[in-house]
Amino acid sequence: MIFVTVGNHYQGFDRLIKKADEIASRTSYDIVIQRGYSKYVSKNVKYFDFVPMNEAIEFIKMSELVISHAGIGTIILCKEYGIPLIIFPRRKEYEEHGTDHQVEIARAIEGRGDDHIYVVYDEEQLEAKIVEVLAGKQKPTPKANEGKASLIRTIRTFIENL
Amino acid sequence: MKKAKKIGLICSAGGHYTEMLQLWQAFEGYPKFLLTYQEVTTMDRVGTHYLENIFRSPIAFIIGVVKIFLILLKEKPHILFSTGSEIAAPAFYFGKFIFRTKLIYLECSAQVYRPSLTGKCVYPIADLFLVQWEPLLKRYGPKAKYVGGLI
Repeated sequence: MIFVTVGNHYQGFDRLIKKADEIASRTSYDIVIQRGYSKYVSKNVKYFDFVPMNEAIEFIKMSELVISHAGIGTIILCKEYGIPLIIFPRRKEYEEHGTDHQVEIARAIEGRGDDHIYVVYDEEQLEAKIVEVLAGKQKPTPKANEGKASLIRTIRTFIENL
Repeated sequence: MKKAKKIGLICSAGGHYTEMLQLWQAFEGYPKFLLTYQEVTTMDRVGTHYLENIFRSPIAFIIGVVKIFLILLKEKPHILFSTGSEIAAPAFYFGKFIFRTKLIYLECSAQVYRPSLTGKCVYPIADLFLVQWEPLLKRYGPKAKYVGGLI
């Protein structure tokens, strides 16, 4: 299964939803879309606007691949559960967000070279990237999140010392 | 025996909410409450105060700010912690100047090079101010700290 999610920003992300719908007609994988505030009505794909967080986590866990905007929640959850993720950032020029900070996030993550996160900036290259990622047999293993452990330790120590 | 410190956890929906849940362990053992926006995605937690998004309309903003005040008045937290975004600003200012709480703010990992509006707004009054990307330190004063990021 491929789970596509675009976050809860009030502007929709039709560019991604439409492309996923188009790709769905050519792939053997089931595609499920959480379309948020997007307007595009998918023809080939099961979709809903939103589900509660715990259900979204279940969709992520059962997916072979997740495709999303550069959303922090999705990036964190894919890291935690070791699910391959293709990031396709929202762009200001298409009225998908107020700024281009999602491109900054995508570039910053790309520069780190994580083994389970891929970035696509042009929707015409999305399908080729999906095929490439799904063909790669090695499933990433969930890794200990050192940043998370360090943040928890710092905050906890600060509270204890108050 | 030390008095139990009560912690108010405040965040908007989406990535801010996921970040909050990721850090839950930091608050284990302390009395606490969560204050967030009422969205389909956040409705799965018991013992939470829900607000309508304060940016939805001017009326929602006024009602939201009053509700935040009343929730703080009822809960009487000693510490406020937020992962953003704008919902933190009124809570932190009430906390600092009326309820005398300690304030911990974690800038969202979406802010790589540029501070968020909420971050800039609460930086001057925060007691602990954390960012999740090292390059962002340059944009804040000496109080800002980087110890790692969630993503």
